[in-house]
Amino acid sequence: MPISFEHVGYVYSKGTPYEYQALKDVCLEIEEGKITAVIGQTGSGKSTLVQHLNALLLPESGEVHILDRVIKAGDKPKQLKSLRKEVGLVFQFPEYQLFEETVLKDVAFGPKNFGASEEEARKRAKQALKMVGLSEEYYERSPLELSGGQKRRVAIAGILAMDPQILVLDEPTAGLDPQGTEAMMKLFHALNHTYGKTILIVTHDMEQVFRYCDKVVVMEDGGVRIHTDKDTFFSDPDACRKMNILPPVLIRMKELLKANGFEVADDIITENALADCIARQVKKHG
Amino acid sequence: MGNITLGRYIPLDSPIHKMDPRAKIMAMLLVLVAIFFPAGWIGYAIIFAAASLTIILARLSFTFIWKAMKPMLFMLVFLFVINAFLLKTGDPLLTLGSFTLYSDAVFQTLYIAVRLLLMVMITTCLTATTKPLDMTLGIEDLLKPFQKIHVPAHEIAMLISIALRFIPDLIDETERIIKAQESRGVDLKEGKIMERIMAILSLIVPLFVSAFQRAEDLANAMEARGYAPGEQRTRYKVLKMEGRDYILLFCAAAILAGMVWLAYYR
Amino acid sequence: MAIIEVKDLTFSYDETKTTIDHVSFAIEEGTYTTIVGHNGSGKSTIAKLLAGLLEKKSGSILIDGMELNLENLFRIRSRIGIVFQNPDNQFIGSTVRDDIAFGLENHCVPQPEMDGIIEVNAERVHMTKYLDHEPSHLSGGQKQRVAIAGVLAMKPKILIFDEATSMLDPSGKDEIKRVIRNIHKESSLTILSITHDIDEVAGSDHVIALENGKIAMQGTPHEVFSEVDALKKIKLDVPFSLKMQQKLAKRGVRVGKHITMEGLVKELCQSHSNM
Repeated sequence: MPISFEHVGYVYSKGTPYEYQALKDVCLEIEEGKITAVIGQTGSGKSTLVQHLNALLLPESGEVHILDRVIKAGDKPKQLKSLRKEVGLVFQFPEYQLFEETVLKDVAFGPKNFGASEEEARKRAKQALKMVGLSEEYYERSPLELSGGQKRRVAIAGILAMDPQILVLDEPTAGLDPQGTEAMMKLFHALNHTYGKTILIVTHDMEQVFRYCDKVVVMEDGGVRIHTDKDTFFSDPDACRKMNILPPVLIRMKELLKANGFEVADDIITENALADCIARQVKKHG
Repeated sequence: MGNITLGRYIPLDSPIHKMDPRAKIMAMLLVLVAIFFPAGWIGYAIIFAAASLTIILARLSFTFIWKAMKPMLFMLVFLFVINAFLLKTGDPLLTLGSFTLYSDAVFQTLYIAVRLLLMVMITTCLTATTKPLDMTLGIEDLLKPFQKIHVPAHEIAMLISIALRFIPDLIDETERIIKAQESRGVDLKEGKIMERIMAILSLIVPLFVSAFQRAEDLANAMEARGYAPGEQRTRYKVLKMEGRDYILLFCAAAILAGMVWLAYYR
Repeated sequence: MAIIEVKDLTFSYDETKTTIDHVSFAIEEGTYTTIVGHNGSGKSTIAKLLAGLLEKKSGSILIDGMELNLENLFRIRSRIGIVFQNPDNQFIGSTVRDDIAFGLENHCVPQPEMDGIIEVNAERVHMTKYLDHEPSHLSGGQKQRVAIAGVLAMKPKILIFDEATSMLDPSGKDEIKRVIRNIHKESSLTILSITHDIDEVAGSDHVIALENGKIAMQGTPHEVFSEVDALKKIKLDVPFSLKMQQKLAKRGVRVGKHITMEGLVKELCQSHSNM
């Protein structure tokens, strides 16, 4: 079991008037080799949760198991670097972490920190840039001159170049246009399918969860409210709404069709399948 | 960042909190000047009593003052070591081999320690009880007479209030960038010189980039809402001096006069 | 009457690329217009040009019958309110009250009148309870509501939203879209919203689609969305109902072009039951 949380609690600003319990007794197991979406309202503890995965935050109570390590509350873990190499964490708006003169140097920064030689780091940087779809012509350009979407790709490549087993992304598509969002999600899908990376995505975008993720974790008020398969999760749109989650448009369309006398099977999850289903019924009557 | 107490505003409901910032700033300046007169221990005792009274009236705790004082302790220890080696006047207190500690070294350090403590107490009385914005309004008003000699009072106040407004945001941003770079293997605590330089660069450059972005956004937002430096504008917050503000000023002036008397005319 | 008239407008940040390339359009008073286009198409630049935050290279901008130039700048700015993308970077005051007051101070509103104006406009965005709150204790959506109150307080004729919801979470987005719709409903304000939100576009009166600094398409949402292939070419999203309509057409089911799901299902239902 590569990642599990056992009764994890976390408190911000402990002992001050601003004390705030962000995680409460979280128990959670994340499956290897899957794309898991972490959703929930702002302030529900999503970001706090994922920052435990590479020990940027250490549990106040309980324990976190990541790969072959155990981080217990109260311990002062050593060798965090080796953990951070294996769990790549991409923050929200990661373009703000770029600082080197050239794209290639910036992407090579991570591997170098983890002890790769200059040559090895460059090689990995080139591979990572290729994965995110940035060609050679960008290598020597300043990362600060690129467009917003390109900058974000460079930042993500900077994490990929570390060759982590687990990739954690905090709202990776925030602020991108629909086209940029789509391309970004396709990238994560490929990283999962082609390179076998375990991926966790914190997001608010249900369309993306519906199309690209395997598992859904719903955080609420510092705890895990639901952890299930994506399809099971969206099969009950009313339950989604109760948690203030607007179901994806395809699910809403299915609901509307059912309410108007159409028969729509639960296992229809693509636009083409839905179009087939509608066409069949309309023609039958025609 | 939660443990920095010096200069922080503490939102409480007290008569001191309600006072006019101009009166508080003026009173603080008067008493700060008073501290610098060599009025001896009696003088310091008076100022200490007055400052303590203000702290009690402002409902602040003395542990809060102590916390504000803590960062200064290192400086005082350092000063004491220097004094111990340099000041060789007064009575010898203790001898260790060839080194002798003289009483003046102790007294000089104590003297400075007391002054420092008083200054921290007095400034805390102002900063802990005055909202940053009220403070800038006070500064703006107090600088107004200097506008005639081309001191841009309003611009200075605007600058300070915007800086104050964005400090918490910049602190958050810094923490975020630190975490992001730590995730890329940056180790801020260990490493060789070159690694350390890179680590610091990896914080500074992104911080600057985002600060400039913020500045540009802010300038646009201000301009779009009709702000033009140097142009006539009205002011929403109007300060008004009341009886208690005059009392405060009178007390501060009395302390200053008392110190002058103690120092030169006694 | 057109309240905004843009003729042959051109602008560039540097020599190498023309960001706005001979753009002309007119916006009728009291309408709700959306501007769409992918990032880098020049949408935000147009907003900044209209608010006089950037200086055009050539062409003309007429706002409420006045030519936008240096002499008129201050007067025009009092007619245009603009709400930007980043909720943090446009909150100037140290509390909600002070932030709404900021624009009033700039426009030399007499101090005794300010409290009344602040309260009325805070009410319009439902922020009365938060008047003495500091920005660090507000959500993104609440900060954007304050920004709206701040520009409303200056009694503008035109409100521009420059991707004002794009950095918010779903509940924040809903909050702001609702506030904008209500303001538009109860006042004669002209609204210009730069957005990626397909539902917001579908609900607007007029759509302008930009591509590489040029107007690629404009018209009612119905007209613009009907050109599904053209929209795909400029990499813009299409409402789900239109995607479905195309897929159904391929399967031999002909239905009209609807920009809402409800419209599509209603027609499907009729053909379903009539037969």
